[in-house]
Amino acid sequence: MPSKSKQVEAQRQLFETEARPHLDTLYSVALRLTRSPVDAEDLVQDTLVRAYRFYERFEAGTNFKAWLLRIQMNSFVNRYRRKSREREVFEGPMATPVGEGVMSRATMRGLTDPVGDAERRLIGQEINRAFDELSDDARAMVMLADVEELSYKEISDIVGCPIGTVMSRLHRARKQLQGSLQKHAVQLGIIDEEDGEFESPIPLEAFRSRKAAKP
Amino acid sequence: MSCRLVRRHLGAFVDGELDPASQIEFERHLEACPGCQENLAFERSLRQLTRESIGDVHAPEHLWGRTLHRFDEIDATRAERNSIDARPMHLRHTWPIATAAAAVLIIGGVMGLPESTPYQGAGMLQDVINLHSQALPSDVQAEAPQEVVRYFQGKTPFPVRPAQFEEPGMKFVGARYIRVGTQPAAALYYNHGGRRLTLLVFQSPEIMRNAHRTHVGGRELYYHNVGGNVVTIRQHGGVNYAFFGDLDRPVLFQLAANARVAY
Repeated sequence: MPSKSKQVEAQRQLFETEARPHLDTLYSVALRLTRSPVDAEDLVQDTLVRAYRFYERFEAGTNFKAWLLRIQMNSFVNRYRRKSREREVFEGPMATPVGEGVMSRATMRGLTDPVGDAERRLIGQEINRAFDELSDDARAMVMLADVEELSYKEISDIVGCPIGTVMSRLHRARKQLQGSLQKHAVQLGIIDEEDGEFESPIPLEAFRSRKAAKP
Repeated sequence: MSCRLVRRHLGAFVDGELDPASQIEFERHLEACPGCQENLAFERSLRQLTRESIGDVHAPEHLWGRTLHRFDEIDATRAERNSIDARPMHLRHTWPIATAAAAVLIIGGVMGLPESTPYQGAGMLQDVINLHSQALPSDVQAEAPQEVVRYFQGKTPFPVRPAQFEEPGMKFVGARYIRVGTQPAAALYYNHGGRRLTLLVFQSPEIMRNAHRTHVGGRELYYHNVGGNVVTIRQHGGVNYAFFGDLDRPVLFQLAANARVAY
């Protein structure tokens, strides 16, 4: 029937217009989650196909980007994650606690406002390396909050956990990233070896009180 | 307010996610505390560096085109389904069965269901048939049958494994989570020489009501006749396994009876 096919066509147009601007976001998140361009493409295509099929379930007026990302996150968790052990880490409370002050003051200073393109590039590489070493959950958190700059509410919708949990998972993820950067601070050349040895094992609080004790 | 507290929540502060009262207290503390200021500068700088080095990825050119191609396929099936729905009611009963595609054959069967069926679980049975004919996309693909168990963990209140058939021609093609009536269910899709078979695993005592009982090859088997089609059901430990497919009645009975469903 022509009227029906017109309806399908209109629906299609609307979906394309709404979805196209989010393609780069979907791909970029997918690439960071799967760590493979091939898997990332499959994941994105899958996400969009699923979203298109269930388009009528999308509540107009709500955040379309977050809706797409939620579908993508579910697909990723369901399909692309091979080890069930990892899945527990992803969904449950994470195993390793992260202490405060994992970053030494010297490293912190070295990473704050790096001077020159070479240094920026080097730090960029190091951040990439540190990021890729993170758990799936931590990568998702950093990606959604720090790169895509989504609100905690949006992230809680996408990942399917309460806002308080988003907060602690995100905190942990950032600390893991910083901890990894700290470990490589010497290679980064932003602190020299002796500095590193002197600074890194000392928590900030202790460091401050020692400084205060100096005459 | 302690430095420790401020630093613990500095991330949320930078994100602008603190409640207004805390936000103000944090600002006040930061104004007066050079140490925390340094932490704040670092937090912001690292955020910026992370965004620069991890973000800014563009999707490959062909990805959108590739996806649109899939949309075309979906549109085509939708248009087909719409044109079937648009036909007058009486035509459905006289649908030429021999030439119709398998899915259409089952739609014909469903429509032929007498309205006066005294059967309580009729809605559920109809669901079983509909879920087969809709051929929804799988979440777990044929290449990864070992993923089935894991996929359904936490989704269904009972463990799900792909059933094993004695027939060598029976091929597992995929699985997905679904609902039969209001019950969470596992849909397992198989292919038998080009004909589709759907196995739905769920818990529902209603579907057993008024079911016919028979024995095939020493196995107890239940079935319902639904408008010329037959749904066969096995029961194991309070779980129902409903088999439905584009298969001849004896073949379906044989397959259902010999399948290893709980192991």
